[in-house]
Amino acid sequence: MAAVGRVADGALSRSRWRTGLLLALPAIAIFALLFIAPLFTLVANSFRTQTGAFTLGNYERFLGDPFYRGVLWNTLKVAAMTTIGCLLIGYPFALYLRGRSPRVRNWLALLLLSPLLISMVIRAYGWLVVLGPNGPVASVLKWIGITPPQLLYNDTAVLIGMVHVMLAYMVLPLMGSLDRIDPTLVPAAKGLGAPAWTCFWRITLPLSAPGMLAGAMIVFSLTASSFVTPAILGGPKVKLMPYFVYTQATTTLDWPYAAAIGFVLVVVTTGLLLGYARLLRRGNGDVVFG
Amino acid sequence: MTRLLGRVFAALVGLFLVAPVLVTVASSLTTTRYVTFPPQGITLHWYAEVFRKEEFLSSFALSAGVALAAAAVSAVVGLACGLAIHRHRFPGRGALEAVLSGAFAVPTIVLGIGLLQWFAQMGLASSAFTLLLAHLVLTVPYTVRLVLAGLAGLDRSAEKAAAGLGAAPFLVFWHVTLPAVRGPLIGGAFFAFITSFDDLTVALFVVTTDLQTLPVRIFNYMQYDYDPTVTAIGTLMVLFAAVAVVVIERFVGVARLFGADAEQHR
Repeated sequence: MAAVGRVADGALSRSRWRTGLLLALPAIAIFALLFIAPLFTLVANSFRTQTGAFTLGNYERFLGDPFYRGVLWNTLKVAAMTTIGCLLIGYPFALYLRGRSPRVRNWLALLLLSPLLISMVIRAYGWLVVLGPNGPVASVLKWIGITPPQLLYNDTAVLIGMVHVMLAYMVLPLMGSLDRIDPTLVPAAKGLGAPAWTCFWRITLPLSAPGMLAGAMIVFSLTASSFVTPAILGGPKVKLMPYFVYTQATTTLDWPYAAAIGFVLVVVTTGLLLGYARLLRRGNGDVVFG
Repeated sequence: MTRLLGRVFAALVGLFLVAPVLVTVASSLTTTRYVTFPPQGITLHWYAEVFRKEEFLSSFALSAGVALAAAAVSAVVGLACGLAIHRHRFPGRGALEAVLSGAFAVPTIVLGIGLLQWFAQMGLASSAFTLLLAHLVLTVPYTVRLVLAGLAGLDRSAEKAAAGLGAAPFLVFWHVTLPAVRGPLIGGAFFAFITSFDDLTVALFVVTTDLQTLPVRIFNYMQYDYDPTVTAIGTLMVLFAAVAVVVIERFVGVARLFGADAEQHR
């Protein structure tokens, strides 16, 4: 009897195994052929000359050329500044959201996420108008009597556009961390005579560090690898890595070099993003709205 | 006092968040031939202009077609893959899960150039079909994740009860399993639609001069023209996105799409 049962079990699990594989097959095919294969091609091409011979020259060229080292440096700088900007606006905003009713929180969260749901091109174009010579910022400056400076096509324009999109990625993990702080801690410290500032500095800030870290990692790496917003608001004057991946691939048509720049970008950003995913899975991301 | 300060701060952040959309919508009504805010006078001329421009209409048709296909395919593939991962053991399951959750970590621009070089190596000329294939990589991970979240909330005993009462496997699936994941599936499909419809980065590498999606068309147009046509298209696209957002919010919740919830899929 037992043997029959085991055989039946074996047959059952094999048939379930097959069903599983069959169901997953389309997704496996998509990711094998359209994700893994292209990335392998890219890595392989980055070690080739334009004629196809093996070389390390593309990487030597990137790291040896002061111009491209400058591009890498500027990319990291803009990403770091965006991260700091998001933290400076996002932290007080997350604190503000914490004390609100679920309804208000939901609305503000939707507002926060709205830049991510609007077409990237249109969003960047909107900033082009806001910061442009006939835009509201320039009008206000003129009205006060200041000649408006060039607000577009520089690091600041890119910074404004990037903070705008990335703010949500900073605030969401922060709210998760803030929500997890034991709500009795601060009143207890206050009851023992600690001033509000000390409560914040010694309790709230350290306990929300995981959220800050997760937010900083994702904002930094997504900014370093974003193309559309910097391309529209910064143009060719703001030298960032994704822009050079694009121009090398489509204008200069040096595919192996474009592949090498792309791969350097992956190394810089992917490690951080996978670290972020790990933090999330460990339970630092369970923000609950409403 | 602190309370008032908090309100003022929140209002400023809110203004910052809506500024580009607000200004785009307002300046689409201007009577001037250049973009300006505040708009001068009110006209719908630029909306008429959008519908007069043949190339924008054909780009819209291409984008909408590809996005519809991407939404439908990712819903079906996502459902099948979600069921497989949630209920079955099969070789490669761990690897598949790792790729699905790690895919977002690869910069879109790198995916774009990888696809460009890979398609060229395979001798695949760019077409609406290759565009669809490229977009599936962006959309399928979301539908899978949402389906898995839906399945996690489904009580298996309901399916067992239905089967025990004599329902055929297909009927169990149709009447018990499918309703449980219908919300996530619809939300996921809509999100796939906007992701595909709005994508510029990947599309830039896949398109040719006579096959341009709407974002690519706008991006190229912007380099030469600064007339308010783009603000009119922008307003239409914002309205379009708003409808999708209402649907997503209703079925899955927007915050959930961006990882703002821990029960991703286990």
